[in-house]
Amino acid sequence: MKLRHFLLCGALAMIGAGAMAQSGTPTGTPAAVAAKVQLRGEANDIVIPEMRIVRRNDVMVVQADMKNTTDSNRTVFYRFRWLDSSGSQVGDGESWKQITVLGHQIQTLKSVALHSSAVDFRLEMNVETQ
Amino acid sequence: MIKASILALAATLLLSACATGVQSPVVRFDRQVNYGDAKSVELVTNEFGSSDLQMIAEKMVGSLLETGIFQGRPTVTISTVKNKTSEYVDTTNVMNSIQTALVKSGKVRFTRSINEMQAGVDELQRQNQSGLYKSKTTAKVGQMTAAKYSMEGELTSIVKQNNTTKDVFYKFTLKLFDVEEGTIEWQDEKEIRKTSKR
Repeated sequence: MKLRHFLLCGALAMIGAGAMAQSGTPTGTPAAVAAKVQLRGEANDIVIPEMRIVRRNDVMVVQADMKNTTDSNRTVFYRFRWLDSSGSQVGDGESWKQITVLGHQIQTLKSVALHSSAVDFRLEMNVETQ
Repeated sequence: MIKASILALAATLLLSACATGVQSPVVRFDRQVNYGDAKSVELVTNEFGSSDLQMIAEKMVGSLLETGIFQGRPTVTISTVKNKTSEYVDTTNVMNSIQTALVKSGKVRFTRSINEMQAGVDELQRQNQSGLYKSKTTAKVGQMTAAKYSMEGELTSIVKQNNTTKDVFYKFTLKLFDVEEGTIEWQDEKEIRKTSKR
């Protein structure tokens, strides 16, 4: 099966795009990425240096790199929320997921929109220290 | 004088309202029961739970849609789902979640599975053999669409335990077979590790 692979909006090239310390977004996360993140509480040294978004076979696929900038482990609870062109949520919403990010580790989160009407997304997350 | 009395009365009413508060429209007894978020991470025990089911379904559906194997809206049927763990797990539930998400995506059509077939046959016989229906309106026998693909799943687990720690590793494997050719056209798996300490 030949895969069609369309670039949606050119990977959000944000490495080194300048750290932004906005309220409610992880410190050290570029502004373009931070706009897609809904952080609950403190980021606790977790940053999202890069997100890649593609439209593959008519569905949106997103990958987000999550980096722990400290020596100690962090527990992250997250889910992606898919939105249609009017900003409404598509479907019932994903289940929450738990992931451990070891000290100075980068974990990649991936999600696929379950309907072709999804054109945007938000990454909801909160970070617990261990 | 009158104005002062009205103000005092209003303050008293306000205070009493604050003290009692409004009652929510619920029937509640002594035991505290609340509705929770069905999508929350369930960490009650490390046995197979709702979060595992949801994560498996999301991963499998995402993987299927991403590959584009469903271009042309083919027909699919659910075949067996084997539970090879030591736990009782209703594997039908996992397949139901996968099927629901795929149907809602609009990318695929599902035909009746083996378990659902008898109900379909019964309805066809009722329409065609009971003599109750106008012949123009009855569903014709022999017009069902056969499935191009068959979906088969398997859940396995590896459990390791010592005095303080229990580690459970689940693996759900899903395969999509081309019925005519007997070939595997797509396959993916979801691994889940759950560790608990006493």
